[in-house]
Amino acid sequence: MPDPDSYSPQQEIDPAPNHASPAFETSSQNPETVKRLNRVTPIWMAVVSLLFLTFSLDGYFLRMYQSKFFPIMRPEWFYAVLTLHGVGMVGLWFVAGMAAVTYLLARYIRPPLWASWMGLGGTLAGFALLIEATTRGMFGTGWYFLYPLPLYSQGTWPPWATGCFFASLVTLSSIWLVWSLAMISAILKRYPLRYALGWHYLSGQAGKQGPEVPPLVLITFVALIPGVAGFADAFAVFAFYFIQWQVKGFVANALLMKNLTFFFGHMMVHATMYLGVAIVYEMLPRFSNRSWKTNRIIALAWNAVLAMVLFAYFHHLYMDFVQPRMLQVMGQMMSYFSAVPAAVVSIFDGLRVVYGSRMRWTIASVFMFLGLMGWAAGGVGAVIDSTISVNYFFHNTLWVPAHFHTYYLMGCVLMVLGFASHLGVKLSGIPDSRLARRVIVTLFLIGGYGFILMFFWAGAHSIPRRYAIYPHELAWGTHDARVSVVFIGIFILGLLFFLWETGRRYLEIFWAQFRKRQMESYIS
Amino acid sequence: MQIEAFDVFVAINAVVGAVFLWVALSTRHQHEPNIKSTNRLRIWFFGILTAGLILAFVLMFPRMPYPMGSQKPDQIVYAVGMQFSWGLSNEPIKNTDQWREATYAPPVKIPVGSLVEFRVTSFDVNHSLAVFSPSGHLLGQVQAMPGYVNDLRMRFSKPGTYWIFCLELCGMGHHRMRGEFEVVPRTSNSARTSATTREAHAGS
Repeated sequence: MPDPDSYSPQQEIDPAPNHASPAFETSSQNPETVKRLNRVTPIWMAVVSLLFLTFSLDGYFLRMYQSKFFPIMRPEWFYAVLTLHGVGMVGLWFVAGMAAVTYLLARYIRPPLWASWMGLGGTLAGFALLIEATTRGMFGTGWYFLYPLPLYSQGTWPPWATGCFFASLVTLSSIWLVWSLAMISAILKRYPLRYALGWHYLSGQAGKQGPEVPPLVLITFVALIPGVAGFADAFAVFAFYFIQWQVKGFVANALLMKNLTFFFGHMMVHATMYLGVAIVYEMLPRFSNRSWKTNRIIALAWNAVLAMVLFAYFHHLYMDFVQPRMLQVMGQMMSYFSAVPAAVVSIFDGLRVVYGSRMRWTIASVFMFLGLMGWAAGGVGAVIDSTISVNYFFHNTLWVPAHFHTYYLMGCVLMVLGFASHLGVKLSGIPDSRLARRVIVTLFLIGGYGFILMFFWAGAHSIPRRYAIYPHELAWGTHDARVSVVFIGIFILGLLFFLWETGRRYLEIFWAQFRKRQMESYIS
Repeated sequence: MQIEAFDVFVAINAVVGAVFLWVALSTRHQHEPNIKSTNRLRIWFFGILTAGLILAFVLMFPRMPYPMGSQKPDQIVYAVGMQFSWGLSNEPIKNTDQWREATYAPPVKIPVGSLVEFRVTSFDVNHSLAVFSPSGHLLGQVQAMPGYVNDLRMRFSKPGTYWIFCLELCGMGHHRMRGEFEVVPRTSNSARTSATTREAHAGS
């Protein structure tokens, strides 16, 4: 990575939004809103960072278990922690993305801060229930609790753990659905539907008969639609479980439940990924001093993404041969071609914004840049796996967590952590350290990609995912897990450095806010 | 197939990594990119990527594992998954007693080179019937769903003991759920058995 220009937070470029058009006024930032955002967002980022460390250690435990580091521990622990890790991570990065875009959107709209606070409280309550269900109740169905497994515990988890798990999911889905709807409503108040989706760019009317729409607004809106669809769909899943629990003799259709469950999971994961990309669209230009505005190509690309993401989820059901063939083929087509707008527009433009620019390399900008790379790398693995004839060999092998860890851990997570770092620097006034950046980025790259590559390698060698213990016929899975334990250790070390480096800024922010409040109460 | 896919993945991502490194290094010397050449590059990128995806789609489409055509299988094997074992039989498995019997029965024998159809279902939760070669390589798979029967067709070119593992998380014994069958050299006797089975199912 090139040497950075010396950077201090005073250099922070944070210009007033300039998205005016003759027909539409710009909204100026409300000082009270900014003050409240400066309070809630650091809390969010601190909570996210600590939970990330917790859930990462869970993941570390899983690979250590597969390495036979805990020969006495029962495999029930593996599956329970697997469930906690899966639901925890997927949920965590959705709310982290929401909190970050809420902060950034305040330049253009009035984001619903009550929803952000509600999201924080609801998320913590939901996660508390989840931790209770998995660690005390040993509930271990994996994150997608595929019907009807929660009802077939074989005595491993008690009925209350099933109830606790569903209470957790209902809490989280309800809170996140309301938060998403509140955000959509806030965007629509300023940008009616056709503008929020950038349709006036498609007809060439932007700037004349419609406002300029920042990519952040467009992408957040596009991300929230599948998010809402996914959460609404989750309630259908919960309803079927509830009916089966209450109505004797009722049995839900397994194929329908599978479709509903994967639709929910697919939408939520993609909504999360797009929220991360929205952050990059908004922030990367600030570091490179280049503009990255919505144009016809970007509007077209994100509308295409919206259309395709709704149908790409069929790739999760390729191995259900009774699913209508047309849907399977559609799943492959949509998965293939959803890569085009991502690569040709978002990643290409991200590189254009950086190429030859006077880039300020900070932890934040490096993470966002590398986040785009992780998105691209994971996308390659995903497209390969979305080929039906390849999925026949890769479905539910370690290739699957390999590709989604690539675009999640080395993509979305880096994008949001980049935002968290930026916020810490900006609000604390403590500048970025070059040495810390080099150490953190090196550890993240070696640890992250080493860990992920072992997943891909093992997947290509037929190692199943979600196996607590590998049978002797697949003994090399244990060996691969041992190698990956080393890389995860390096990654966790990098994460601890990052938390130390960012955490001290957040402590400074919280301390300053505490003193300010005390001063205000003293004066009044 | 798996190793080729891994090689393709590594090769493409080596290019991705090189491009990102090149762009990162370009910030050492500031210069504005030419808009026209950037747009031209984007069009080329779009064309190459789209053409590559269409080509991959066309090439891979005929390799889909779904049963196609009117060819009748030489042998039918009924496979039922239940927590945590596979029951395999040449006869339909209709209830849990028959499933239990099948789990203790000697391995089903399949002649080398014959087209075998696994009729796969589950009596409890979702499982996945994954066939592994004697050397431990995944040869193919299909989901086992309660209430549905998925048909998986395969041919085996080498004799030996083949393993069936479950690839869909099905509970605490998921990793120890297994079954097996034997692929045996084709003999006149096995050929006759296959033909009898085929006739029996053609007539049913």
